Amino acid sequence: MRLSILFIALFGMLSAYSQSEPIKTADGFEVKILTSAVCEMCKYTIEKDLAFEKGVKSSDLDVDSKILTVVYSKRTDADKLRKRISEIGYHADEVNRVKKAYDALPTCCQDGAHGSDMPHKPQ
Amino acid sequence: MKKLIFIIGLFYFSPNLYSQTVVRGIIVDVNDEPLLGATILELNTQNGAVTDTNGRFQFTLQNINSSIVASYTGFLSDTLEARSNTHLTITLKEDSKALEGVVVSGSATFMDNLEPKHVEIITSSELSKAACCNLSESFETNASVDISYTDAVSGAKSIQMLGLDGRYVQINRENIPVIRGLTQRYGLGYIPGTWLQSIDVGKGSGSVVNGYESMTGQLNIEFIKPETGGNLLVNGYANSFGRTELNTNITFDLKNKWSSAVLFHANLFANEIDNNNDGFMDIPKGRQLNFLNRYKYNGERIKSQIGIHLMHDDKAGGQLGFDFDDNFKTSTQYGFSNSTTRLELFGKTGVLFPEKPYQGIGFIYSGSYTDINAGFGRNAYQGTEKTFYLNAIYQNIIGNTYHQYKTGVSFLLDDFDETYIDSTFQRQEIVPGLFYEYSYLPSTKFTLVAGLRADFHNIYGTFFTPRIHMKYEVAKNTFLRLAAGKGRRVGNPLVENTNVLVSNRKFNVLEDLKPEQSWNIGGSLNSELQLSGKKVNFIGDYFYTNFQNQLIYDMDQDANQLIIYNLDGQSFAHSLQLEAKVQLNEAFGIKGAYKYYNVKTTINNQLMPVPYISRDRFFLNASYASNYDKWEADATLQWYGSKRLPNTQNNPEKFQLSTKTPDFVLVNAQISRGFRWGNIYLGSENLLNFKQANPIIDAENPFGNNFDASFVWAPVAGRVVYAGLKYKIQK
Repeated sequence: MRLSILFIALFGMLSAYSQSEPIKTADGFEVKILTSAVCEMCKYTIEKDLAFEKGVKSSDLDVDSKILTVVYSKRTDADKLRKRISEIGYHADEVNRVKKAYDALPTCCQDGAHGSDMPHKPQ
Repeated sequence: MKKLIFIIGLFYFSPNLYSQTVVRGIIVDVNDEPLLGATILELNTQNGAVTDTNGRFQFTLQNINSSIVASYTGFLSDTLEARSNTHLTITLKEDSKALEGVVVSGSATFMDNLEPKHVEIITSSELSKAACCNLSESFETNASVDISYTDAVSGAKSIQMLGLDGRYVQINRENIPVIRGLTQRYGLGYIPGTWLQSIDVGKGSGSVVNGYESMTGQLNIEFIKPETGGNLLVNGYANSFGRTELNTNITFDLKNKWSSAVLFHANLFANEIDNNNDGFMDIPKGRQLNFLNRYKYNGERIKSQIGIHLMHDDKAGGQLGFDFDDNFKTSTQYGFSNSTTRLELFGKTGVLFPEKPYQGIGFIYSGSYTDINAGFGRNAYQGTEKTFYLNAIYQNIIGNTYHQYKTGVSFLLDDFDETYIDSTFQRQEIVPGLFYEYSYLPSTKFTLVAGLRADFHNIYGTFFTPRIHMKYEVAKNTFLRLAAGKGRRVGNPLVENTNVLVSNRKFNVLEDLKPEQSWNIGGSLNSELQLSGKKVNFIGDYFYTNFQNQLIYDMDQDANQLIIYNLDGQSFAHSLQLEAKVQLNEAFGIKGAYKYYNVKTTINNQLMPVPYISRDRFFLNASYASNYDKWEADATLQWYGSKRLPNTQNNPEKFQLSTKTPDFVLVNAQISRGFRWGNIYLGSENLLNFKQANPIIDAENPFGNNFDASFVWAPVAGRVVYAGLKYKIQK
C-alpha cells in the first residue's frame, strides 16, 4: 500500500520534472541529474562510484532534493553518467535503475526504508 | 558516603560538582563489534565525541535532557534520549557494503582521547601508506616507534621506543602477548602487513591486566576480523631486489552466528644482492608461508573465537652463493641460515550481560610452539619454546559507572630449550598471577586508573607491579596525561643478541642473570585545535625509564667478546618527543616531530651512552589523498643524528672503527591509484639510496678472529622500488 503511494509520488515527480541540460563551465561541463537516492548511504555510494568514473571531476548529491550535480570533462557525457548511475542501482532522470544492482543495495537505500513521507536526513 | 573513600592525592572529584549531564557509552554494530571513529553529537549542536578503538565515547551535554545522535559512515544514524550516569550501548545497523574505505583522510592516525594512557591509533588507511611488507614497515609513517637495523647479514629490523630496545615493548595481538621469547628478534617479520586492521601504540607502562612485561610501551595489533564477512582481498607485490609477495584475506559468514577469516601470506626472495661488493649478501634470501584461520561466534550473551596460526620462514644469507638448503657447517662459504616454524592455537570467550553493559567476564588463551634452527658461520643455534598463556578478566562497577574495576587471574607457562655451539640453556617459567585495576571516572574531564598485580614466578620469586595512569582535560580538546609504573621481563640473551652471533665474538656470561626491572614515569600534553579553519594537533611527551636491573650486553670491553652481566650502577633513558600535525585541507596533511633521547647505562663500571641510539632525530611526513582515495601520495623523511658505536680499540688498527656514526637521512615515498576493484601502488624505501659503507669488519676472513657484521646502524642494501596491486571484493 505504502509502496504504491511512493511509486505514484515518484512517478508524479518524474513527470513534473524535465531533464536538465548540461551547462558548459570553466573547467568542463556540469549536469544536474535527478536520482532515486534516499539517504547519506546512497550519497556515499554514488559519489564514491563516480569518483572512479572516467571523465568525472566531482559529484555532489543533495539528499533532500535527490539531485546529483556532476562536473565532468569531454571524456564522458551526461548520458553515460545516467547509465552509470542506473548501474549502481538508482534511477537517473528517465533512465531506470538496473534491478540487479538495486537489489544488491543495502536495505537503507531501498524504497520505503525511511518511510514514504520522510526522507532520511543526514545528521 | 562511599565516594569519600576516593580522595586520591590532591584530586577530589565528586559527581555532585558536575551538574552537567555526562553521557558515556559504547557504539557497536549489530554483531556487537565496537565501531572505531563513529560520531556522537548532541542534537543540533557540534558538541560531541568520536569513539575510540573499543567503540567507547563520553562527553558532557550542553543542555540537560538533550537528544543525542550517533552516526557512522555507511551506517544508519540513530537518535536517542541522553541519560546521564548510565552506560549507553548504541547499536547502529550496518551495511557491510560500506565497511571498506570509509575512513576519511586526515583521521588515519589519531590519539585515543578517552584512554587515560597515551595511546595513538594507526588505522588501516595509515597502514596502507607503507604497502610493504610486514609489521616492521608499519611504523614508517609514525613518529613514536623507531626502526633500527640489527646486523649486516640477517636483514632483520627491530623497533625502539623511548630510546630503548624493542624488547622492553610489549607486543600483543588482540591482547595476547606475541613477539616475545625466542621470536623477539625476527618476529616482526612474521606478521604480514596486509593482515593488519589497526595498531594501538601506547607509550609508557601499560595496563596491569596485560601482565608485567610492558616497560616502555605496548603495541596492540588487530587483525582483519571474521565478522566483516564476505570480503576478499588479494595483494600481489614485487620489488626491485626481486622479492615477491602474495597475500589473500578471505572473510565469510557461516551458519548460526559463526563467521570465519582465512589469512594467507607467502613471500619469496631468492636473489643475491651485494651492492657494496663485500662478497656478502646485503639482505638474506628468504621464503615464508604464513596462515591464520579463525572462527568467531557472536551470540547474545556469549562471544567466542578460536583460531590457528601456522608459520614457516627460511632465510639464507652470508657469503654469495650460500643457498637455502646448504649446510653451514661444511660449506666453504660463511653461511647464515635461519629456519623458524611456529604453531599457535588461540582463543577468547566473553560472557556479556546485555542488561548490564559494564559487566563482563572474559577468557583469553593461547598455546604456541616455536622451533628455530639457525647457523652462523660454523656455529649452530637451536631453540624451542613452548608457551601457554591464560588471562581471565572480570569487570564490573562499584555502585555506579563512576567507579569501574577489572580483576582477574593469569597464568603463564614458558618452556625454553636452547643450544648454542656446545652449551645448553634450559628454563621453565611457571607464573600464576593476580591483578586488580580500578578506574575512577567522575566526569568526562578526569580519569584515574590505578592497578596492582602480583605474579608468583617459580624461578625469580614474587613480582609486585603497581601502575597508575591519569588523564585530565585541562582545556577543551587539550589533554594532560601522567603515568607511572613498574615493569619486568626475563631476558633471553642468545636470541636478543642474534646480531652479535654474526661475528666471531665469544659469548661470556659472567653471572646468574636476573630479570630486568624498571620504573617508567612520564606524561604527555595533547591538544587538538582549529587554527584559521585548519585542524592542528600538538603532542608533547616526556618519559623517563630507570632500570633497577638490566642485562648489560657489553661489546665495549673487548672486541672479541660479548660480555653479559647484571646492571651494576645507573641505567636510564630520558625521552622527549614534540610533534605537530596540520591538516591543511581535506586532501593535504603534514606532520613533523623532533625526538630527543638521552640514554645511558653503566658498562664496565662506566656510565656511558647506549650504542646505536641517536640522541636527536627529526621526522617529517606529508600526505595527500583525493576524494575517496582515488589518488594517494605519501612521503616520509627521517633524520637520524650521530650514534655511538661500541669500542673497537683493541682490534688491529685497520679494523678499528670511529667511535661515532655520521648522521643520515632516509626518505620513503609511495603513490597509489584507486579503482572500483581495488588499487595499484608504487613506492620506494630509502629513496635517496643511503647506504652504510663497509658494514662488515674483515669481510675477507669470515672465519678469522676479527670478522664482525654486527656494527650496523643504517640500511645496508640501499634504495628499493616496489609496486603492487590490491584486488578487493566486498559482499
